[in-house]
Amino acid sequence: MESTEQAVDRVKREAGIYACVECGRCSAVCPMAEMYTTFSVAMSPRGVIKKAIMGDDLIHDVNLWYCTECNAGTDVCPQGVSCRDLVRGLREIAVKNGLGDKAQICPRCGERFVAVPVEEFVLSRLAAEAPDVHELLKVCPACRRDLYVTRNA
Amino acid sequence: MSEPAKKQDNIITLDDLRPRQKERSYLADYVMPARHPNILFDPRKCIGCGTCEMVCSKRNRSVIAPASSSIKVLRDEAKGKNFAIYCQHCRKPLCIEACPTRAIEKDENGIVSINKLFCVECGLCTLACPESAPLRDSKTGEINKCDLCGGDPLCVKHCPEKALTLTRGKFFRWIKFARWTVQAASFLLLVMIFVGTFCFFKAGQVSFACPTGMLQNIAASKTIVLATLSATLALIVLTILLGRVFCGWICPFGFVLDVVGTLIPKKIGWPKFLKSRLTKYGVLGGAVGASAVLGFQSFCVVCPIGALCRSYGAQGFVKGAGVAVVPLLASTEIAQRRAWCRYFCPVGAVLALLTKLGLLKIVIGATNCKKFSCTQCAEVCPMGIIDRDLLRQGISPKIPMSECIMCMRCIDRCPYGAAKLRFRWQKGVPGIPGETRI
Repeated sequence: MESTEQAVDRVKREAGIYACVECGRCSAVCPMAEMYTTFSVAMSPRGVIKKAIMGDDLIHDVNLWYCTECNAGTDVCPQGVSCRDLVRGLREIAVKNGLGDKAQICPRCGERFVAVPVEEFVLSRLAAEAPDVHELLKVCPACRRDLYVTRNA
Repeated sequence: MSEPAKKQDNIITLDDLRPRQKERSYLADYVMPARHPNILFDPRKCIGCGTCEMVCSKRNRSVIAPASSSIKVLRDEAKGKNFAIYCQHCRKPLCIEACPTRAIEKDENGIVSINKLFCVECGLCTLACPESAPLRDSKTGEINKCDLCGGDPLCVKHCPEKALTLTRGKFFRWIKFARWTVQAASFLLLVMIFVGTFCFFKAGQVSFACPTGMLQNIAASKTIVLATLSATLALIVLTILLGRVFCGWICPFGFVLDVVGTLIPKKIGWPKFLKSRLTKYGVLGGAVGASAVLGFQSFCVVCPIGALCRSYGAQGFVKGAGVAVVPLLASTEIAQRRAWCRYFCPVGAVLALLTKLGLLKIVIGATNCKKFSCTQCAEVCPMGIIDRDLLRQGISPKIPMSECIMCMRCIDRCPYGAAKLRFRWQKGVPGIPGETRI
């Protein structure tokens, strides 16, 4: 059983963050800039990677929970750094350490499937829908398909 | 064809991506509905073979790998049921609103597609879709969503059991024309030709009398005349046989409301504290009670239907002084469609009570119903009894027949034939045994 520090180290190495040249391409294409009005350097993939390199405590950091785990930054990185894998791995460790309160739990199957700020963004864009529809949108995609089938098969 | 809003500095705004309408240039564009292609799925025919997944992945990624297809067959071995999840190409897609990179677009042909140039595979469309139809490829992480193969879907072509079919919806909506004709004809008949025949107290040689008027008359005179009973029988039998067709097809005031409502399509909304459909029963009770106390038919003085019937002819405006209530009440149409019929009309209240014995019902929701992606029935319903929010969640709403005025707009509008007229004792929707909701 590896300790938390070892796990964080492993995630960092596997994501390849030490190859980062700080070009900032990942932040340029990051959809978070479009999603959050509070988008900042600390939240951007470049900032998160820098913090990871400097050895800051990212697991307790709120900025870890805004990422949509998309593929944009990984796609454009000239050095093959995967900011998605970094965030995903760190989130897993955070959940293991009981810091998973920023992860949305599906009310049907009980699994954590998305970060709360991301879900909040989706619901804010769909603010015109009825509260019942919002309840449905808080269910994880797999369960939602299942629900739709049980209602219509 | 309308061009998308002018793009400035190559910045795409959400309005560029939202559903655009074709420019209406011919008369046919007004008469005929826009017929967008869509895939229908029949779960009874599906055998869960997964051919659709295979041909779809072949097109998406040039490999046969069901994981990278845009259609997913969910199989329930225990119940022996299969169901295909695929994009329904919503009329108002939620994924367009949610996409942070504005990669999803709905074009003039109604096809919602992801622009792979802009897509960053964040998966927010999957979170926004009520059915979670955009599917994530577990191997590559890509998001795959049906784009109807540009109008000629491969899955439909290759489905061995014809469970998937391509449809363009109904060609011609004829009920609309029939209803407007009948409404106009009955308006002429009741108002201009047989002046005052609908009402009770103009009943000289009646064939047709108002049941609310009859109730008030009984309360006022405290005697029951057999002739008046038999006169109202026509409407009572009609309502039991066909539902409230009087309200939807015959009522002259209903015709006025429909005309006003068509002329004023924008609604400002009805105040919430007046939104009780039970009010009309109260009005009925009050009318009967007041008649008993005052000794004459008190509601008939201000009844808009009666006022219309009495308004025409030589004695017209003198006798029908109450005709002033017609424009007054017709103005409620600015706030909500058929607001008078929904909340206040005591004639409708009597008929609503009679529909408890009715023989017909309207059912919505079958294998054909597109639920959240369509909701056209909820939009056209003048009485507002089709629950849009339930449809949004993929549930078929039950229609309270006592509130339904049998205008059949939902049946007329439904492009996929999911709204149907059925006898009361028929269970559920044809095609699905029992209830649609499991």
